[in-house]
Amino acid sequence: MSTPASVPVAEEELTSAPLVPWELVVWDDPVNLMSYVVRVFRTYFGYSQEKATRLMLAVHHDGHAIVATGPRETMEVHAQAMHGFGLWATVQRAPQ
Amino acid sequence: MTAAPLHLSLAIIEGRHLLGLVDEFIALLDGPRDPADGGLNRLAPDPYPDDAEASAEYRRSTRDDLFDQRLADALDVRTTLEDFDGTLGDAQNVMLSRTVTIQPDRVNGWLRTLSAIRLVLASRLGVEREDAHDPEDPRFGTYDWLGYRLDTLVTLADDAG
Repeated sequence: MSTPASVPVAEEELTSAPLVPWELVVWDDPVNLMSYVVRVFRTYFGYSQEKATRLMLAVHHDGHAIVATGPRETMEVHAQAMHGFGLWATVQRAPQ
Repeated sequence: MTAAPLHLSLAIIEGRHLLGLVDEFIALLDGPRDPADGGLNRLAPDPYPDDAEASAEYRRSTRDDLFDQRLADALDVRTTLEDFDGTLGDAQNVMLSRTVTIQPDRVNGWLRTLSAIRLVLASRLGVEREDAHDPEDPRFGTYDWLGYRLDTLVTLADDAG
């Protein structure tokens, strides 16, 4: 993944991209099964079983959890994928 | 994606029932896709609850794709289940079980379809809280059964790797 050629690009992006990222939020619902939500987090985002379980429990107990952070377009792609799995996901600007 | 095919054991009566639900779901997705349908809207939630304009833009660019993908998933599930309508359609002992084989690249489509049908049922039944329904209420039989079957499938998929 890391090549010398990619370094200047990354630096350039750091200086020109807006510093405020966006967040993908998944909300609790009474229908989706816990086992299913863990599997979606694990297989779609590549999160470990532990991290996926922690996020699922946060959604369940706190009503929602931020499951990914990054550029708005990426968060929208993730939101569409979550909607495809039947999860209730929204996109929001990260707090300043 | 999982490594090996999954083998889901279903009683013939379950297979027929599931096929019936999948057919209803296909009809919903293949129909006019009423923008006011609560079940469909649960499958395509609003990504920007505080920004109507951004939400409308998002809906324009994703809603049809989302439902087209669901339709493709559901048609694929239907193909795997069609024996329950065909060769097993006249079976006398409907409690006998049959094994449904789900190929690794179809597993996510199955999971998405079963959970989506459950979400539509929940929307029709007005399920808003986890403890909101009476287990004795017969209308929830299908909903609870589908949850049990979805959980079975998640376990099988997790075990397959």
